[in-house]
Amino acid sequence: MAELPLIGEGAPRIDGRLKVTGDARYAADFSVPNPAYAQLVTSTIARGRIVSLDASEAGKVPGVLKVYTHENAPKIEGVPFFGKGGQAYQGFRPLQGVEIKHEGQIIALVVAETLEAAREAAFRVKATYEPQTPAATFGDGGTETEVAAEISKQHTDPKTGDADAALKDAAHVVEAEYETATNHHNAMELYSTTAHWTGDHLTIYEPSQWVYGLRAGVAGELGIPQDKVRVLSPFTGGAFGSKGTVTARSALTAAAARALNRPVKLLVTRAQGYTTASYRAETKHRIRLGADGDGTFVGFVHEGFELTSRPDTFLVSGTESTVRMYGFKNVRTKVSAVRADRNTPGFMRSPAEVPYMFALESAVDELAWKIGMDPIELRLKNDTKTDPITGKPFTTRQVRACFERAKELFGWDRRVAKVGAMRADGELVGYGAALACYPTQLAPAAVRLTLEGKGRARVQIAAHDIGTGTYTVLAQAAAGLLGVALDRVEVELGDTNLPAGPISGGSVATASSVSAIMKAAEAIRLRLATAATTSNDGPLAGKDKESVVLKDGRLVAEDGTGEDLTDAFKRLGVGTVEEYAEWLPDGVDEKAMRGLYNGSVKIVGGPMQDRTQFSFGAELVEVRVNPRTLSIRVPRMVGVFASGRIMNRMTAGSQVLGGMVWGVGSALHEQTEIDRRYARYVNDNIAEYLVPVNADIVHQEIEFLEEDDGEVNLAGVKGLGELGNVGTNAAVANAVYHATGFRARKIPIRIEDVLKSHLV
Amino acid sequence: MTNPTPGASRREFLSTAASAPLVAGAAAGVLGGEARAQTTTGAAMAGGQVLVTLKVNGQTHRLSLDPRVTLVDALREHLGLTGTKVGCNHGQCGACTVHKDGVRVLSCLTLAVAAEGSEITTIEGLADGDELHPMQAAFVQHDAYQCGYCTPGQILSAVACVKEGHAGSDAEIREYMSGNLCRCGAYVNIVAAINDAKTKMGA
Ligand code: FES
Ligand code: FES
Repeated sequence: MAELPLIGEGAPRIDGRLKVTGDARYAADFSVPNPAYAQLVTSTIARGRIVSLDASEAGKVPGVLKVYTHENAPKIEGVPFFGKGGQAYQGFRPLQGVEIKHEGQIIALVVAETLEAAREAAFRVKATYEPQTPAATFGDGGTETEVAAEISKQHTDPKTGDADAALKDAAHVVEAEYETATNHHNAMELYSTTAHWTGDHLTIYEPSQWVYGLRAGVAGELGIPQDKVRVLSPFTGGAFGSKGTVTARSALTAAAARALNRPVKLLVTRAQGYTTASYRAETKHRIRLGADGDGTFVGFVHEGFELTSRPDTFLVSGTESTVRMYGFKNVRTKVSAVRADRNTPGFMRSPAEVPYMFALESAVDELAWKIGMDPIELRLKNDTKTDPITGKPFTTRQVRACFERAKELFGWDRRVAKVGAMRADGELVGYGAALACYPTQLAPAAVRLTLEGKGRARVQIAAHDIGTGTYTVLAQAAAGLLGVALDRVEVELGDTNLPAGPISGGSVATASSVSAIMKAAEAIRLRLATAATTSNDGPLAGKDKESVVLKDGRLVAEDGTGEDLTDAFKRLGVGTVEEYAEWLPDGVDEKAMRGLYNGSVKIVGGPMQDRTQFSFGAELVEVRVNPRTLSIRVPRMVGVFASGRIMNRMTAGSQVLGGMVWGVGSALHEQTEIDRRYARYVNDNIAEYLVPVNADIVHQEIEFLEEDDGEVNLAGVKGLGELGNVGTNAAVANAVYHATGFRARKIPIRIEDVLKSHLV
Repeated sequence: MTNPTPGASRREFLSTAASAPLVAGAAAGVLGGEARAQTTTGAAMAGGQVLVTLKVNGQTHRLSLDPRVTLVDALREHLGLTGTKVGCNHGQCGACTVHKDGVRVLSCLTLAVAAEGSEITTIEGLADGDELHPMQAAFVQHDAYQCGYCTPGQILSAVACVKEGHAGSDAEIREYMSGNLCRCGAYVNIVAAINDAKTKMGA
């Protein structure tokens, strides 16, 4: 088979033209005949019961078709919570009773002739409640803390040796607590659902990173067969984990459309998105990290506390990653769930690594200062080629090479190893470093690949382009393997009429989809090669079929002899060859393919039976702290990453650039503020929930190292969507310490925190 | 619009607007006397609808609208021009940026009636036939996006930024493009694209 390059050409996106002309169709852009418009009404209490819901005023608004409340809402069969193998974002179903489990819970759905009427009516729905005092977050009365290993079958606490004993004898120990804030994804595209029935067949247009899951979830909730539902999401306007699971609104909208016998388009406001879908919950960490006199790590203890809802146990369990970062000899970990009266949290870009690696990578920096060692040196001293928990080798692990190249690009040797010692333009300067990582994960994938004699190819797979460049990289894979030009490849995604693709989550999409494409492409090659080599005449007659590849629109043998594709197809007597292929990752049994079609997710990776697979990166940042205003700026960031085969250096670059922007947000901006009296999100909008804007990001430089990893999967692809934003928050916090002497153990870092520094 | 809202008077519209923060915010914050003048100058129709003539991308459209319809909703839901995106509906994100007489405005904070008499340009109207506007081409060339959702707004803002003379340096571009959020974080590539396009735009 033709080889794909280790670092693929930086080809501009094949869907670029659609995106810059406004022709790319996102879910809410699809037109349906004569739609009615729907709006949600949400609760203003976090815990208690609805006493009465008065929809009479709302019903009088001209144009209102129906107001659904718990009294007349369609019956929804809840499908299981994602964390329990289902598709639902949370186990609890609103609008099925009077109970209120969290602030901003859906209490009514208004459907009207026009968007304006629906909005007006939504404001006129009046609820009275019997409220109870909610527990909002850590430390509030009424929260319940449970040990993860005792309540969750999926959770085990990784452990090796005797960490507590080792720490007792360690020459240097850092013991600290770290905290990360509540974050919301805030993809630019708002949540929406459009439901359109034709007879007993339902079409759903909804921004999704898992169309098959959405199909299964909606079908399950409506009690109809899955093959009666089609989900379309060819373009998703950012997702970051928020559009992977099935929220209550989808089936409700579909049920309303069925009852009203007319397409219904529900547009969710940004504020409602904070409470009717998932988010990244706040976390706390207790770290103990010890080293002997020369900086060799001897023991590591990581205890994590994660907030979750009352009905669901959602845990990210990032200890699974932190314990594998260095050659810790002795490790003890423990994760606890803390229940409060909140909506259920969920996956948000690098769910486990963003909070847990912040804690570890901050502690490593603290230890370096304590020992008086360069923090990068300390990291490299404790690099490991084997997984400290399982003892198995890492497939590839270029931590040293990443840091060395990043140091060079950054000019790390200019660092003065003293707090507050560097200044420029009247500002304090700090340098910070951190390790980035992400487990290499895979999921089953099916694809249909077509090659025409005229040299056109088509890839059909229900994978998703959520900004990840999926259209382009899958086209590049097909073009490279089938030997046709990139502009001759068409890609269809985001539609349950296509073969089932992987969920766009856990950074599995490219690796899994390209592996499936490789399988299909090999089948196509073999058909053409077999016909050409076994024929009685022609330039390839009698040659070894294994030596024949598709290249530059030709079928060629190693010695360069060959024939045009058109001739090869003539020999087969067809104009088109089509292959459907199913690819399963190592250690996943056949049943998983059925599961994929039925909306059940099987993701494997990280620590495996015989090996451990991760991608790594080194992130170096400079911060400037203004001594008067104490504002913290990040004038430059350098990232060097090793993540297996890079399909497209340009789209891959964009992913990690964007990831590092997220890291800046995590470190300096993003926090969903909670009014603890009411367990209510206060800044539930995109102005007061701060995200980095253009002026916050100045200079970014990134590089990918070549990495040939034949073990991780057929394609040697490791995935990139979640690597870039891991560690950045710690790198920024570490740089702030270098600049000011203020150790930020809680992010985001606010100006008032820096006031505590003695240097400013 | 299939079902006009019978009997709604202008007074009802105003009281409705006051009770709905979205619309109230828009009326108070952005619209000047111009919009009010237009809604009262004889365009009001039976059923509380108003006749609005919108000139979008050189084409004239006559619409009968609820006076509360915003420009972005008129474009997307009534004219089928879905290239303009909604990211907040509150004037916070820039996704809905269009040009009104060549000036960048937030179409979620502009009532459709207030756009009457103006030349509106949306992302669909930027290219010259098959030939992309230099800014569109530069966004493709520099991968100045990921999901593409903020992109129409970014591009219209970027074109205006150059025309306003606010693309003199990287720092100036960053500042004058900070009203357009990109959650995918494509900022450095957006700045590169604008730098590239500005020379081609003859600025
Ligand atoms: S949608 Fe208009 S500014 Fe966000
Ligand atoms: S490209 Fe996704 S928000 Fe900008």
